[in-house]
Amino acid sequence: MRKHYTVAGHGFVVDAEETLFPEMKQYEPFMDEEDGNTLFTLRVQKSVAPILYRELHRQEDEGTSIICGETPEGKTVLEFQVSDEVMGRLVCSQDFTVGDVYYMGQRLYVVNNSLMMMYTFASSEKLTTLFHSSVVSHQGKAYMFLGKSGTGKSTHSQLWLKHIEGTELVNDDNPVVRLIDGEARVYGSPWSGKTPCYRNVDYPIGGIVKLKQAPHNEIRRMKPVEAYVALAMSISGMRWKKQMGDGLHQTENLLTATVPIWHLSCLPDQEAAELCCKTIANKD
Amino acid sequence: MRQKKGLVLRDVCGEKVIIGEGLEAVDFGRLMCLNDTAAWLWEKASEIGDFSVEELAEALFEEFEVTKEQALQDVKDIVAKWEETGILE
Repeated sequence: MRKHYTVAGHGFVVDAEETLFPEMKQYEPFMDEEDGNTLFTLRVQKSVAPILYRELHRQEDEGTSIICGETPEGKTVLEFQVSDEVMGRLVCSQDFTVGDVYYMGQRLYVVNNSLMMMYTFASSEKLTTLFHSSVVSHQGKAYMFLGKSGTGKSTHSQLWLKHIEGTELVNDDNPVVRLIDGEARVYGSPWSGKTPCYRNVDYPIGGIVKLKQAPHNEIRRMKPVEAYVALAMSISGMRWKKQMGDGLHQTENLLTATVPIWHLSCLPDQEAAELCCKTIANKD
Repeated sequence: MRQKKGLVLRDVCGEKVIIGEGLEAVDFGRLMCLNDTAAWLWEKASEIGDFSVEELAEALFEEFEVTKEQALQDVKDIVAKWEETGILE
């Protein structure tokens, strides 16, 4: 069975056994008809067959690992592990238009990760990127909060929702940012971390804020190189592949030049949200 | 000497910056800003591969209006800084 979804204007197809789709609730707001605008297709199968590959890179986070490697023919392989147990493996075609994922357990977890990876790779040269951040909307614009894991991105969004009237949550973990005709926009996505917030909405970006925990609240505008680094640290991709590295750089560089980017040292309190909003909202 | 693998020269809003993007050097925590001369030399060194101070000084002398002595001194200073930062091997 095939279903088509569109996220931030880029379509993709999931081809899988029928029982998968009722589990994919978070994708339903993004479901539509196949219209020729398809970035990639993910084919999902159950299989324990080993895949020969060479490990290139490993990313670990809270008991889960994603190992990135390459087959002898040069295809990208991603292996998803939970507590050192392999849950699935994704094999990408050279041009990232087709992904074959083989799962052993935790099907939805494996499919979610595979789709995020395929989306990242396939869109990297289209001024589009998944962006690790929490995002709120306020008076027609979106504000993105980023920072290292555990810095309080979600907490800061919650403070806006609670104390600043007219604020809504757009996405809490992995929205998509896209530059179109010189304008930077952020789109809700089916990937939102632990918060079930899967909204098919989009807004122009009014500001990006890098958060850092501190014993006080203070905000300042970042200089371009500093801002660029803050963005790059929130965007993943296989930068060692030249085309992907160049594509991400182009997106990050344009974003740095287009959107005001701030540094907020903050406490998890009302004053932090108010200071932030007062400083960044509706200022270009 | 040669440049470490995995480093790329990027233009970030008009500033030339060396960033680690390769498998050997994925690290955004450390980067180095270069002035125009240093950026030009970095690209030259990249073309040559296994380069020497003398080769770079010669290239600089041929491209820009500087004396041979000045070119050699500039290259020595810049390469010393690269070595200090650990971007050569």
